[in-house]
Amino acid sequence: MRLTLSALGLVLLLAGEVNVEFSNIAKQAGLAHSFPNGGAQSKQFIIETTGSGAAFLDYDNDGFLDVFLVSGEGGLSRLYHNNGRGRFDDVTSQFGITRTGWGQGVCAADFDNDGFTDLFVTYWGANVLYRNVGGKRFEDVTAQAGLRQDRVRYNTGCAFLDYDNDGHVDLFVANYAQFDPAVTPKPGENPYCWYRNIPVNCGPRGLPFDRNILYHNNGDGTFRDVSESSGAAAPSQNYSLSVLTGDFNGDGRTDIYVACDQTPSLLYINRGDGTFSEEALLRGVALDENGKALSGMGAAAGDTHGDGWLDIFRTNFSDERETLYRNLGKGNFEDATRAAGLFRNTRFVGWGCGFFDFDNDGWKDLLLVNGHAFPEVDRLRLDIRYKDRAILYRNQGGGVFADISERSGPGLLERHPARGAAFGDIDNDGAVEVLINNQNEPPTLLKRSGLSGNNWILLKLEGVRSNRGAVGARVRVTAGGRTQIDEVRSGGSYLSQNDPRLHFGLGRASRIERLEIDWPSGVRQVRRDLSVNRVVVVREP
Amino acid sequence: MRATSWFCLCLLAQTPEELVRSGVEQFHKGRYLEARQTLEMALRQSPGQAHATTFLALSRAATGGCREAIADLAAQFSGPPGDLSRLAGIGLSQCYLAEGRFEEAYPVIRRLQALYPADADVLYQAAKLHLKAWNEAVFQMYQKTPASYRVNQLSAEIFEIQGRYSEAVAEYRKAIAKNPAAVNLHYRLGRALLMESHEPEALSRARKEFEAELQINPNDAVAEYQVAQILLSEQNNREAATRLERAVKLSPEFAEALVALGKIRLEDKRLEEAIGLLERAVQLQPKNEAARYSLMLAYRNAGRAEDALLQKTELDKLQKPPQGEFTEFLKKLGEKAPQQPKL
Repeated sequence: MRLTLSALGLVLLLAGEVNVEFSNIAKQAGLAHSFPNGGAQSKQFIIETTGSGAAFLDYDNDGFLDVFLVSGEGGLSRLYHNNGRGRFDDVTSQFGITRTGWGQGVCAADFDNDGFTDLFVTYWGANVLYRNVGGKRFEDVTAQAGLRQDRVRYNTGCAFLDYDNDGHVDLFVANYAQFDPAVTPKPGENPYCWYRNIPVNCGPRGLPFDRNILYHNNGDGTFRDVSESSGAAAPSQNYSLSVLTGDFNGDGRTDIYVACDQTPSLLYINRGDGTFSEEALLRGVALDENGKALSGMGAAAGDTHGDGWLDIFRTNFSDERETLYRNLGKGNFEDATRAAGLFRNTRFVGWGCGFFDFDNDGWKDLLLVNGHAFPEVDRLRLDIRYKDRAILYRNQGGGVFADISERSGPGLLERHPARGAAFGDIDNDGAVEVLINNQNEPPTLLKRSGLSGNNWILLKLEGVRSNRGAVGARVRVTAGGRTQIDEVRSGGSYLSQNDPRLHFGLGRASRIERLEIDWPSGVRQVRRDLSVNRVVVVREP
Repeated sequence: MRATSWFCLCLLAQTPEELVRSGVEQFHKGRYLEARQTLEMALRQSPGQAHATTFLALSRAATGGCREAIADLAAQFSGPPGDLSRLAGIGLSQCYLAEGRFEEAYPVIRRLQALYPADADVLYQAAKLHLKAWNEAVFQMYQKTPASYRVNQLSAEIFEIQGRYSEAVAEYRKAIAKNPAAVNLHYRLGRALLMESHEPEALSRARKEFEAELQINPNDAVAEYQVAQILLSEQNNREAATRLERAVKLSPEFAEALVALGKIRLEDKRLEEAIGLLERAVQLQPKNEAARYSLMLAYRNAGRAEDALLQKTELDKLQKPPQGEFTEFLKKLGEKAPQQPKL
């Protein structure tokens, strides 16, 4: 018998099998509120389909990630404090989080370099910038900061980035469409309001486009709109959703990728002179391999092949493949979806997504959350559903993924109308958790039970000459003979904010041979021979 | 009765020109019966007014008097194009359809479509004609050959259009059981299987049907192409390339197969070969976005930046999204004061 079990173990090992079990611990962790987002049985307007995001941030610098969840109309976006013992306490009202409405996205960064992470929340309506006052409360400084908008806009994804590397984070805000319920047709009223012969909410096709916005941080607590002069407003025929930042062409400057719905996605290449040129099509990240614009929802960046370049992953609609764009170097991409083994799940509408090394083997795995845009699809009794499960792909090394969703525990198989997803290590144990905002339901908090046995490191970067949160810093970690890269970024996934700390799985390597950081200021910092399995705070020299 | 008498008395007091004006006005307001009476009176007082004759025919057509109207409508429609001729043509086609005279309706609608290709009323008449003709043919088929495999095939195709793929699959299977050697049934079944389910197992089931189609018709390039697509999704690029090569050999102008083969070569970094295939595809189908896109990337990867940019320019033209029909209503957006909107 023992021989048989050993043989089985050997077979599993040879096949690269990993025992992994994710559970949903949201309820026991105190994340029990529901977050309304329009109808649960049917939706009259598109605004009910797109919300909302989730964020991990450590607002009080106690070393533990706190949680912010965005609500649609009829509820309150909520802030939860991580007590460090596995519980999140609702501190919304005492922290001055008061804004209600059709909340969409969230991004976080220390915009005033005071050492405390601030929050920006986007709305269909008026966005809000919450300034973190010493980790004790948040104050709405939208107007003072110059971020009030002169009309109702359908703001979606956002990200702070320091595009001019001046030490102050700027802000990019994606805009989906121009939408007014007073004049938008109801389900079934025109050809854009049908899906598989059932009437559904109209759009985005048929809705007028809007333009994306870039705000420059003046360094005095205010921003100015540079959308026109920077080129951010130039693309005018895109339904923009998620914002993903990264130095995709390796020139030391932060570029911006925007996942767009039913229209070509955008890649703003930073020219280094305060302007951007939109180059997604020629660089191969606008369309799918057939030259078709897909319904891009969420986006994530990671070096899936271990070649030192950031690849881009995008979630799409049902009957479309997810898309992995492999960076061939210097920001030219090819569609590697099929080659990476990511082409089989075509029944899902994907939203939040992220690369994370759940088994700490040194290769970035991938998780995406799903749920159809239209609750009405359940009437069709097909294999596409309004509430659906997540998908977990394990990177088998070299950017080839295996779908292990169905053997990764009950948490992953729960069906929800998921939207935003944030990735972060809530208990600093080296295993990354995933926070998911579900429409009209309590959130999901996926936690892996048991540890992989592999080593890891979690890096928290503090800028000095660079922006305080080190947004845009690029890190290279060499351990066990392999080098991995990542960047500190704000925003990403689907309208969400991941842990700004960088997590690296190290496999069996027990020391980090070399840690190299390219700070946004231009300073390169190198540290050698670091011990593992800990959170390391690195300050810019 | 009293109202009608009053109406007639009113008409008697008008000149023929006034009567025609009133009749046309009544017609445009949809008061066809009144228009008919007014125009009949106008023509009794002053026969031979072409304008009145046409509107009377249109009014008759709208009130069930097609038989009396057809000659006048046909005469007006055969004249020079214009608003009146257009109305007469539409009325004439309606009358032919109402009378079941499909053969006579066809040339009228064809001419209308040639003269007014983007006219909703004309297109509606065209759709109605084809629908009626289709209904008639289906009725005949179901009535006269109810046991034929064609009935199942047609039912399956209708289910496919309606998105009821499981039912389509069942009907195709019945058709195949009745006529296992019929060409195209396995192919259609394979396609329906792919549409029915997103599960990976559907691929192997569909492939079986495409291969069965090839057994019946070994020269079916499209079935070869479908098999290749399945092989590609199974990451079996080598065999997929072989099948695509065969598809291209069978059908040298099969642009989609050229594109698929070109993409495999591109992936394999065989750039010159890829470019050759994709250039051929673009030549065959200049509006094929997949061909243009892959060719752009192939040029880019080969360092031919100018050629890549040229393809990008063409692609940009193809990618222009259509503006929505209710866009106009939303243009007024932009003036609202900042506020938190409520639904």
